[in-house]
Amino acid sequence: MFTNRAEKLFVWMFFPLALLMPLLLDQNTFYVNKLATILILSIFVMSLDYLVGRCGLVTLGHALFYGLGGYLFVMLTPEYEAVNFWVYTFYVLVIASAIALVVGFIVLRTSGIYMIMITLALAQMCFYFFSDSTEFGGNDGVFIYVKPETSVFGLNLFDLDNPTHFYYLCLLSLFNCLLFFKLIMRSKFGRIVDAVQENPERTTALGYNVFQFRLASYVIASALGAYAGYLFALQYGFVNPSMLSWQTSGTALVMSILGGLGTLYGAILGTLVYEGLHYGFEHLTEHWLLPMGTLIILMVLAFRHGLAGYLESLLGKRK
Amino acid sequence: MTSRIELQTASLADSLPHGHSLAEPKVVLETEGLCKYWGGLKALDDLSLQFHDRQLHGIVGPNGAGKSTLLNLLCGTYKPTRGKIVHLGDAIDSIKPYEFSRRGIGRGFQKTNIYPSATCLENCSIAAQRRIGGSFNIFRSRHSEKLLTEMAEQALAKVGLAHRRDAVASRISYGEQRQLEIATVLATAPSVLLLDEPMAGMGHEESQLIIALLKTLKQDYCIVLVEHDMDAVFELSDQLTVMVDGQHLITDTVDQVRDDARVKIAYLGQGDEVI
Repeated sequence: MFTNRAEKLFVWMFFPLALLMPLLLDQNTFYVNKLATILILSIFVMSLDYLVGRCGLVTLGHALFYGLGGYLFVMLTPEYEAVNFWVYTFYVLVIASAIALVVGFIVLRTSGIYMIMITLALAQMCFYFFSDSTEFGGNDGVFIYVKPETSVFGLNLFDLDNPTHFYYLCLLSLFNCLLFFKLIMRSKFGRIVDAVQENPERTTALGYNVFQFRLASYVIASALGAYAGYLFALQYGFVNPSMLSWQTSGTALVMSILGGLGTLYGAILGTLVYEGLHYGFEHLTEHWLLPMGTLIILMVLAFRHGLAGYLESLLGKRK
Repeated sequence: MTSRIELQTASLADSLPHGHSLAEPKVVLETEGLCKYWGGLKALDDLSLQFHDRQLHGIVGPNGAGKSTLLNLLCGTYKPTRGKIVHLGDAIDSIKPYEFSRRGIGRGFQKTNIYPSATCLENCSIAAQRRIGGSFNIFRSRHSEKLLTEMAEQALAKVGLAHRRDAVASRISYGEQRQLEIATVLATAPSVLLLDEPMAGMGHEESQLIIALLKTLKQDYCIVLVEHDMDAVFELSDQLTVMVDGQHLITDTVDQVRDDARVKIAYLGQGDEVI
């Protein structure tokens, strides 16, 4: 499944380490929560990485689905009643997919710079809608008072209020997400997704409806982006419009480029490094964005294929 | 218009439209009054041609004669302004570009058009997968991968690239890339091959290789060949069409065309173009 040497190394180092992390941190709530957020962001960035790096569909509106994941949950659930986590995960995924189908149908008629603009416009529309809405708390967002319960057939597996439990849920989700993307890239579907990215003209001439493959990919990536937003909302117990803002989309794009576009596991790498730098610089200076921005520009210049690409060249073989 | 199924099941004599004699092979692809205008420019004007099974139909003409426009119309890249394209009895001028290949119309481009980062085998697998279907299946199946490899290997063997099976397409020579492009088209099991200058930019030896390849292929396929290399066209064509300024000048056998006075004028008399 993981054919590339750098990828294998990363996966075998990252996941076991991540598994031990709560124990190493002695269940320190602050850091466990912080790491869980990074795992959630990694899912979001990975879904964007698939879209931009594997399908060649550059979007600046991926935050639309991140935010929708959170807001959908708020809209669907009663305010003071615990709902079932699995059932509502399913609802959020299905509704987000349906929305992505409609949005994708419009957005994918364009390409390149036009697609960047239209995705940006749609996400900002949604941002302003929720910022100005009274029933969704406007700029302040909405609180989720009761977290879902997670029982399956009466069996309570874990507690979402427990940071360590929640951390493991995020880790499992991230691992499944990576596995899922690797699985589809190895399939017949993935073969055509790659073909569409490399040469859409030839792929059409061979009899494939390129639009259908792009739409399917868009729906998959958007649904997973929404899932990440849903997890984020559950972790902090609130949603607010900033999840939908273009800064969220832009940051995710930076993380994905930093990690190595199209490598999928690079999304985790990029998110880790970005968030690590963020945390470090934030503590050093109030104007942390300046040194951090400079450093990221330098890193992107130095590692042409992102951190994953650098790792691959270190190990000798670039795929 | 006879339907496609009837055409395939009926005897040869019955299936021939317009009372052709038995000796003449089946018409696979046909244009009727085909026009393509770009605003006021008539890129192609009122073209009616027939392309026959197991024949190579050459199309020549000075630059701007409308040869590439014709190919782009025949494979659905452009929509005709007026006129019809008929493939095995069905009008196909209003179908989507990707449906042309599904109907058996395969296209080679003027500029080499392959997947440069994939291996030769993978290039053909992508093409063959269209035929076996299941392209929305997200699970890898060993059975269909085996089948695809077989089909891809066959296609590579047909163009003589079997030894390049695992080479990355961007690393093989230019001539081999052109062969590979033909192989990918063959992997879709077409009935018609539309080839746009497959010998452009090639040395003599490489050209000879392609000529030999086309000679074999025309025993099985209907080939429409647009080519600037006159020697090659004369050598290969069963039927030859000369076009000038979007207009049809003559369609006949090579010998007839060579002696035609209008062709000489078109190429030598008026032109300052270099062929």
